Amino acid sequence: MPEPIDVVEALLFASDTPVEADRIQEVLELESTAAAREIVEGLRARLDAEARALQVMEVGGGFRLVTRPELAPWLVKLARSRTRSRLSRPALETLAIIGYRQPVSRPEVDAVRGVNSEAVLDNLLERRMIRIAGRKESPGRPFLYETTREFLVAFGLRDLGDLPKVEGELVVPELAMAAAEQLAEPGPEQEEIAAAPDSSEQDPGPGGDRVPTSG
Amino acid sequence: MSGQETTTQGAVPESTGLTVRVESFVGPLDLLLHLCRTNEMDLARLSLRTITDQYLAHLESVRFQDLEMAGSFMVMAATLIYLKSKLLLPANPDDQEEALDEEGELLKRELEERLREYARVKAFGAWLSEREAEQTLVYGRTTAELPPPEDIPLEDLSVHLLQRAMQRLIEDQKRRVPRQVEPNPLSVLERMSEILDLLRSTWSLLFSSVAGGERLRAEWVVTLLALLELVRLGQARARQAELFGEIVIERNAVSVRQPARPAEPGEEAAGAIAPGDAALAGDGSPDPTHEGPPRAATPAPPDDEPRTEPGEPPNA
Repeated sequence: MPEPIDVVEALLFASDTPVEADRIQEVLELESTAAAREIVEGLRARLDAEARALQVMEVGGGFRLVTRPELAPWLVKLARSRTRSRLSRPALETLAIIGYRQPVSRPEVDAVRGVNSEAVLDNLLERRMIRIAGRKESPGRPFLYETTREFLVAFGLRDLGDLPKVEGELVVPELAMAAAEQLAEPGPEQEEIAAAPDSSEQDPGPGGDRVPTSG
Repeated sequence: MSGQETTTQGAVPESTGLTVRVESFVGPLDLLLHLCRTNEMDLARLSLRTITDQYLAHLESVRFQDLEMAGSFMVMAATLIYLKSKLLLPANPDDQEEALDEEGELLKRELEERLREYARVKAFGAWLSEREAEQTLVYGRTTAELPPPEDIPLEDLSVHLLQRAMQRLIEDQKRRVPRQVEPNPLSVLERMSEILDLLRSTWSLLFSSVAGGERLRAEWVVTLLALLELVRLGQARARQAELFGEIVIERNAVSVRQPARPAEPGEEAAGAIAPGDAALAGDGSPDPTHEGPPRAATPAPPDDEPRTEPGEPPNA
């Protein structure tokens, strides 16, 4: 009878997606996910102690068996290619906005970046870093985007909580909201406020009733 | 309003002063932020005068290829000019450089907020970039050899993927539309021997049965040409009872001539017969009018029907 730790190693080795603790619990018929975690930690400790080529990584809500970073040069050589293609700076920034504000629509992303994000979003969809989460109940019913598990895996994040905490969060400070509302009142200047992508639409969540002015 | 939360050195593009091409900026906010940084300016104390001048100078020095892109830069420029115009109007003389009325002040503050927000996004982008760089060094499985699950989890599918799949399917279908295969080009010579072949076993046949009921223009033209040539060579006769009516093709046993050797009309009198011709003519078909080798250049029609003139309009 194989040891549970060996079974878990096999699971992580054979799976193409991170294996969740409750999935391990289910497969091994364990009593709790804590027990599953314990076994994974045992495996991690063993691999580390023996300085093996593989290591356990917790990403995307589960566990993965991956090679150690030091071995990358040989793997690249094996693949006869350069390193993997990286995301562009605009793509990363867009991903950052979506990561913090999801679900978020394109007009909202555009507003933060101050530039049209359509092509970037398409690229991210293509790479499965984001997906369509639904539609926002605002004029035009724009698509709402959210990050995927692939995103977490690609960036080595356990979950969205792994994103760095920031002061002020990525929401519009109340001051700007108030300013925008006040500015919307006087007549002649209104056009120019509307022309500049309005930060007031950064109001997160599908419940936001502000009409996006850009896009 | 303190600028300390916007320390994102990593995200700032390598500054080479104002000579930086606009292509390296992804938007007006990007450029504005960059200008603020090159001036080592606290975002909280946005110096509109300096920034606006530099921003406009920069736009002037740049040739836009992308209209939409240019538009977004212009919107920002317009906002800045508007703010600057507010500054130029006489305000509190005791207040120094940056004196705006209430409305301008609000607009300026909003601009600052947006810049601050954008700076934050850039910082996160830089952070993600670092994470990504780390992750490119580790390799794990991306495809499993495990048998696929019996039920495919739908939660990982998105509308986008569905749409992609559908599109691919449609493209596939389009490519699979049956290709029109062109038949071999019709040949008058072939059609002539076909008619002769048919005439060997029957006394007369209808033009339409040879040309095909589909009334394909090429078929009919070639058949008519073949018929006319046979008539000219005296190997067949054609009758058309009425204008545009059916043409009846009949064997003309009097003259047998190789269709492959079109001859001058006068040459027919020479009556030279190729062996093939003899075989063709005398292949045992029950032909009462068969007279063997031709002897006259003026074949007598078995009936009084006028022969179809070569110039007559086809009934196709």
